[in-house]
Amino acid sequence: MSNKIIYSKQQEDFDYIAVNIPCQHACPVNTNIPAYIRALFESHHSSSYAINAMANIFPGVLGRICSRPCEDMCRHGEKELGNPVNICHIKRAAADLNKTPAEPLKPLPPCGKKVAVIGAGPAGLAAAHDLALAGIDVTVFESFDKPGGMLRYGIPRFRLPRTILEKEINRILKLGIILKTGVHIGDTLSLTSLLENHDCVLVAAGCYTANQLNTDGEDLKGVFSGLDFMIDVCSGRKPAVGKRVLVAGAGFTAFDCARSALRLGAEEVTICLRRTEEDLTVTADEIFQTKLEGVKFNALMLSRRILGTQKVEAVEFVRTRSGVLRPDGKREISEIKGSEFVLPADSLIVATGQTPLELTTGDGKLAVTDTASFTTSMSGVYATGDYLSGPSTVIEAISMGRKAAEVIARRLTGKKYRKKVVRMQETQVTDRLRAWDFVPRQAMPAIQGTTARLKSWAVEVETGFTAQQAAEESKRCYLCYLHYEIDIDRCIYCRYCIDVAPRDCIKLVDRIETNEHGAVTGLHETSVWKDVNAVVIDNARCIRCGECLRVCPVDCISVTRVELMEQGPPSDSSIAEHKNA
Amino acid sequence: MREDHFIVIGNGPAGSQAAFTLKEKAPEARVTIVTKEREGCCHSHLLPGFLAGSISEKKVFAISLDHYTKSGIKLRTGQSVVDVNPQRKEILLEHKETISYSGLIIAVGGRPYIPEPLLAYREHLCTLKTFQDTGTWRQLLPAADSILIMGGDLTSLAVTKSLLALKKKIYFMLTGEAFWPLRFDKALQEEVSGKLTKRGVTVLAGNKLVGIEPVRSGSCRVYVDGQKIKVDMIGAFFGLVPDIGFLRRSGLQLDRGVLVDEYLCSSHEGICAAGDCAQIYHPEIKDYWVSIGTKNARSLGKIAAVNLAGGRKKTRVDRERIFDIQGVKVNTSWWMEF
Repeated sequence: MSNKIIYSKQQEDFDYIAVNIPCQHACPVNTNIPAYIRALFESHHSSSYAINAMANIFPGVLGRICSRPCEDMCRHGEKELGNPVNICHIKRAAADLNKTPAEPLKPLPPCGKKVAVIGAGPAGLAAAHDLALAGIDVTVFESFDKPGGMLRYGIPRFRLPRTILEKEINRILKLGIILKTGVHIGDTLSLTSLLENHDCVLVAAGCYTANQLNTDGEDLKGVFSGLDFMIDVCSGRKPAVGKRVLVAGAGFTAFDCARSALRLGAEEVTICLRRTEEDLTVTADEIFQTKLEGVKFNALMLSRRILGTQKVEAVEFVRTRSGVLRPDGKREISEIKGSEFVLPADSLIVATGQTPLELTTGDGKLAVTDTASFTTSMSGVYATGDYLSGPSTVIEAISMGRKAAEVIARRLTGKKYRKKVVRMQETQVTDRLRAWDFVPRQAMPAIQGTTARLKSWAVEVETGFTAQQAAEESKRCYLCYLHYEIDIDRCIYCRYCIDVAPRDCIKLVDRIETNEHGAVTGLHETSVWKDVNAVVIDNARCIRCGECLRVCPVDCISVTRVELMEQGPPSDSSIAEHKNA
Repeated sequence: MREDHFIVIGNGPAGSQAAFTLKEKAPEARVTIVTKEREGCCHSHLLPGFLAGSISEKKVFAISLDHYTKSGIKLRTGQSVVDVNPQRKEILLEHKETISYSGLIIAVGGRPYIPEPLLAYREHLCTLKTFQDTGTWRQLLPAADSILIMGGDLTSLAVTKSLLALKKKIYFMLTGEAFWPLRFDKALQEEVSGKLTKRGVTVLAGNKLVGIEPVRSGSCRVYVDGQKIKVDMIGAFFGLVPDIGFLRRSGLQLDRGVLVDEYLCSSHEGICAAGDCAQIYHPEIKDYWVSIGTKNARSLGKIAAVNLAGGRKKTRVDRERIFDIQGVKVNTSWWMEF
């Protein structure tokens, strides 16, 4: 077996990753998921953490609150294969079980450039992290008293303990980043003056203007915006919600509001959905935990107006009809005429989204001119995160922050800092057993009983995997970064491999289709023996069980570890080597 | 020309009625029922009587297996459908077989609902929806002197009646929201509590479950507020939820059940739903509703089949028989039959 390592920048290899390692491709920051799961299984907790931190910077935080686009694409979740691997909670286990203090990150020598980052949320901190590693002098300006943005002021403590958040933020700030809190850009400091003292400004100010229903009664007492409600709750204030609370909205904020209302003493909390529970994009775990605490769901209803004299007393809704899926993934809805009905309520929390605050320049409002290059209407000022895209997820914000940092660092220094490469190395078949494909998805342990949960904001509801549970869940990963291939020159066409294949993953083909880059896009199977030109493993169907390799009489099947990686600044490569070891 | 193949998923009153109606309306078509149950069509409301020995096994099964054969309907029992592909007009079974259809009726009914806070104790809770469920009860009952009934749907009352006939000591934990399908108000609570107490049942009304702890003998210690009781069995009766988990990735429009119009047609052509898994908007009640009960199920099964075979028949609902449960309106014929 050759130990040769190939680093490829060929597009066909990136195309291969997109199809064959669906979890890593779905992750906005391309976290090397199979690698960190395998490291955790082998009890290399610090490596598992480091692999995560290289890509997503906040493993402990994301392991709790990530929206998990990876799990939606996990091959184990394909129709006949069961449930996706609990990737997110394995990430959390990597953080929880890692007892080795993370190695301090080493920035490149100072390059003499200065960047101001507005906003210490996930996008701003991720950008600051990458800029600082590139040797750039970074100052972060934050309007709240503490850093974290929506992580601190939008997500309640029972989902994200502040010790975890602070630990991972401090790891970033230790790169030499200056943090200035309580600074409101526009009031205490203008964009123009910031630009006078810095080479570039990156606006990562998030979305802090709550959408309104624009209905009658919205100014009544007892009507809260979901955003302001969560900021209050996360700041330690206790809004008076009464006994019956209605929450209009379907995102994570709506769920956090509903669960927080219970902790504020509400007795009947109902989430009112325009669409249905099936159309929710929040994770199944979140839905389950919310129901478990006693929150009710009411679907196919749209708020029309808020009723009451001094304060909210009821809300009038209209029924909706569910329609076709739109290209943006949301389902069309239409109002059903004459279907108005009223629900009594002591308070209504409106959590139907947010938009960015407007920043002004000397020439008027700051406008985003190109989302791909992160540029704005003001030269030298860039935008990223939710400020750029509108409300997104934490992992998307981190991804945008890192990409914007790369654009700025390249502009200021003329150097490219982060290069994507596909690393290939021949390896051996793993010790995965076919039986592991039937291990059930491990449920996240959580505090049982609502009384215990609701007694304190500081009680983290999900308690995390034990080392044994994490290892058991890790067994379920197919390790899709392993590429199985038959050497046609040595194959004797015995077809033993096809006989033992657990699904139609090995094919007799007469023709292979490729795209313009040379990546395989289709296999033309044939049942006519004389037309067979090759026996091919379809890696998009393969579940990496290794059975084919074990039965091959002529040893013509090889396994290659194929990984999408980043060649970062030198300080990153030490971690990369650590992982490779 | 390729012959029509109608598939009905589910063999309860709605499913079986749909299949027989399809065969009647389209005699040349192939009709197949696929059901995960291992037995024939079962009258689930008769199961408590069967447990008490007052109803025979023969009576529990509504339709003899011969009747399917004689009618030319293929009955595939013990086979779970795991996916429906409306684009390819195929269903996928758990054992990885795909079957093509030209028309499909989803009539999978409901499964017992266990409130999320109780799922941690699921292994200790017995339900009674299918004939298979009676196996657990019949196995545990001989050694069980005391039984806790939790929830309070209509089945729970029938089960209580049967268990009293078997001379068992019954604790009944009435749970307001679970008094399915009726709205549980104070008057109803007092009426039910009074009737149960009169028959020797210990009613734990308004109490909250703190925890369940198994003890070595197979019994359970149940902690309810400040007190604890030791029981040999626990029955959970919190109503039913449509059993439509297998449709999650089908693209069909779903809420609590399969969303259908008043003709029981789903969002996809050639797919109808019937029985207590079909959720329908009704302009008169300004809400979506589902039907429960054998009579309603049969009626909906028939309408779905007529419409799938090219007819145009509407469902109707009598307002006075509509109840509200967990935000979903329920139309019941069961209460009347009970």
